[in-house]
Amino acid sequence: MLTPFPIEFMIIVTFAVVAILFVILISVVLVIHKAIEAQQIWREDRLYEEYSVLFAELLLQELPPLTSDAKPSAVFRQYDELIAPMQTRLKNLSSRRRRQHRHVLRKVLTDFAQDLSGETAERLVYFFYAFGFVDELCELLKSRHWWIRAQAARDLGLIRARRGIRYLTAALEDVHPDVRNQAMQSLIVLVGVEALRTIFRISRDLSAWTQVELSVIVMGFKEKAVPYLIEALDSSDESVVFFSLEMLSQIGFTAAVEPLLNLLTTHPRTSIRAKAAEALGRLGDGRAEGPLLSHISSGDTTLRLKAIEAVGRIGSPQAVQPLLRQWERGDIHERIVIARAIARCGEEGLSVIRSIAQGEPSLNTAIVGQVLEELGYIEEAA
Amino acid sequence: MTFLDVLQPVLHTYFLFTIGYFVVVNLTYTFFLGLSFKEILYYMRHNSFGNLRLLVQSEITPPVSILAPAYNEEPTVVESVKSLLKLNYGTYEVVVINDGSRDGTLKQLIEEFHLYRSRQLYLPSIEAKPVRAIYKSKKPAYRNLVVVDKENGGKADALNVGINVAQYDFVCAIDADSLLEEDALQKVVKPFLEDPTMIAVGGIVRIANGCKVVNGRVIEVRLSNKFLPIFQVVEYFRAFLSGRMAWQGLNGLLIISGAFGLFRRSAVIDVGGYRHDTVGEDMELVVRLHRKMREWKRPYRIAFVPDPVCWTEAPESTQILSRQRNRWHRGLLDTMLIHRKMLMNPSYGVVGLAAMPYFVVVELLGPVFEFVGYLTVILLLFLEALNIQMTLLFFIVALFYGVMYSVGAVLLEEISFQRYPRARDLALLLSFGVIENFGYRQLTTWWRVKAFWDYVRGRKGWGAMQRKGFEAPKDGS
Repeated sequence: MLTPFPIEFMIIVTFAVVAILFVILISVVLVIHKAIEAQQIWREDRLYEEYSVLFAELLLQELPPLTSDAKPSAVFRQYDELIAPMQTRLKNLSSRRRRQHRHVLRKVLTDFAQDLSGETAERLVYFFYAFGFVDELCELLKSRHWWIRAQAARDLGLIRARRGIRYLTAALEDVHPDVRNQAMQSLIVLVGVEALRTIFRISRDLSAWTQVELSVIVMGFKEKAVPYLIEALDSSDESVVFFSLEMLSQIGFTAAVEPLLNLLTTHPRTSIRAKAAEALGRLGDGRAEGPLLSHISSGDTTLRLKAIEAVGRIGSPQAVQPLLRQWERGDIHERIVIARAIARCGEEGLSVIRSIAQGEPSLNTAIVGQVLEELGYIEEAA
Repeated sequence: MTFLDVLQPVLHTYFLFTIGYFVVVNLTYTFFLGLSFKEILYYMRHNSFGNLRLLVQSEITPPVSILAPAYNEEPTVVESVKSLLKLNYGTYEVVVINDGSRDGTLKQLIEEFHLYRSRQLYLPSIEAKPVRAIYKSKKPAYRNLVVVDKENGGKADALNVGINVAQYDFVCAIDADSLLEEDALQKVVKPFLEDPTMIAVGGIVRIANGCKVVNGRVIEVRLSNKFLPIFQVVEYFRAFLSGRMAWQGLNGLLIISGAFGLFRRSAVIDVGGYRHDTVGEDMELVVRLHRKMREWKRPYRIAFVPDPVCWTEAPESTQILSRQRNRWHRGLLDTMLIHRKMLMNPSYGVVGLAAMPYFVVVELLGPVFEFVGYLTVILLLFLEALNIQMTLLFFIVALFYGVMYSVGAVLLEEISFQRYPRARDLALLLSFGVIENFGYRQLTTWWRVKAFWDYVRGRKGWGAMQRKGFEAPKDGS
């Protein structure tokens, strides 16, 4: 019989003990987590329901009309009277329960805030201030945990607390992108379209995700956002310029043509000039045709292709010959882009493409065949 | 001097090695569990602030090409494609690659989706078998469907053709018979938008056996009433929620499941696409991406997101499961051999110094060590030289650690996504984490050991994978 070595035996025993403790610990955590969670949810649901009913009544309650000589602050005194019993009730709770109640209360008010407007909404905003939630949220924006800061930034917007504007503006420079994004959205809610100026001025290195979030907001403002987007074209941050170019082309406001032409012809970075070319194409304004045509033979591939595409979108017959000259020089990928552009240049362009299609089968006929199919002029291949 | 006296020092060394190996492996697992916990918590918090619906609303959401290779999928291909065409996302195209099917897969697609032979040029960036035709639909509703008919060349070849045909910058490789949740694409695209250096993102794959599926959507998550799929659910939890989550935290993720992964097309083309000559083409591609990006000194990230769900049908018979595991292990072995240069090579950072050694020592050789352990016990028992108390003690420790990781993985699921809402399912998962150590574990160990033999014999095939099809509700709703 082999005898075990004491040290190895001890290691195994230690491992056994640790493993058993771990398994027990994890299982206990699992069970406790499930039980606590269920209990918490039940308790919170009950409280939520209770406060929802209470606040629905408070928000809908008719207030006695104020006399004509009443001070503007009189209405706030009326609001104070409404919530006085609830504030007394909160004061009488133990600190732990008060925390719990305030947490639910804030949740109820925040949820209500999303659906209200007019005087009821103002009343609700006052409740937020009166319960000290606004100051609490502004304070939470300084938390060392990013998720607490992000939540506070979001809630300040939801409850429309204008006192938070200063704090939210500072949060635009937060180290965590989620906090910055939430602050951005809340500022838009609180300040409106003018917030875009601050956002574009302060923001740096907008991620594609942030741009997606911002794009939905900007598209909501449509042409109201154009002056701010044009202003942002002067930003030193490339991502801000890119985003503004993209949005200007999406909104399609012709006031943007001149600044975009300026970028196309003078900006030192070719990536930005290429984006400007793309945006000008989307706007489809004839003023851009000449400057764009001067870029269809650019040495930079991206700029060249974007300029060709843009010329096609403007669709002027004058572009056909310059595009045909470029066709001779381009590789297969470029020829596809050129063929698309020519085909869009009115009847003249289309007849040029059709004449190529009728030639002897070759790579060129295949290219124009694909383009004609894309544009819906022919369907099934042989 | 007896035979046992000669054997004594050998056994002593072996015993020390086993203990050392055991300690290293379990410390690694414990570290992974803790790291995964941290990563999942971050993911949950981070995700609570991102409104994914914006990706549907925004005009600047990047479009995606979904690549679905199909080989002899006649019975299910139409339903699968319809389900893919119903995803909730901005602009996307579905590229179905018919990999020279011998059944009526192509005919079904042509008839159902009113396809016509398109004049679209095929301009390959990656070498692949010839393409016979590209089809598009006459119906505007299926404008984003492209069907490519090509000569048979295997899944990797079909995916390469898909990458060549794809018109967008992001390509999502999926299995034609997998089911994607409606918002899966939104969730898996987000990391690319947040980090411009992201080149690949893998999503979690879950087992659909037992779940109710209607019109290509899982409408009720349940555990199967068969043993094998439940064992696999626990295994998938361990692999995805614990293993992959931890590795992605270290930027050392070596595998993105072939059933669901999103890639930056340019990065895949730059490294040459999928390899045809390996059965582990999904893992091989990811390892090659790591390798090339580090050799080219390009900043990059490869991530795993635990939330976007792709549902797959798990094998219900030991015969098919054994083939699957055997193939996975051959794929792992092949990938490690192809990229052996990276092993313990500091030029490859965390991948060369941590991920590769882990995959070789723990994932690849682990079953061999375990199998040798069982053989040694039998040999010593036969020689009447077995220290029974010690062996039992060791077995108990190993068992408890195994259970600990299974329970830990179930715990991760419970604190995060809670896709199995019934307490009964939770209890079942926990108990299967214990039961799997008696028989199932040994069986999978044997299949994986056998994979070495098959590899040496030059077996490269996939082996037939029969699918039963997803379960529809019994009430016919």
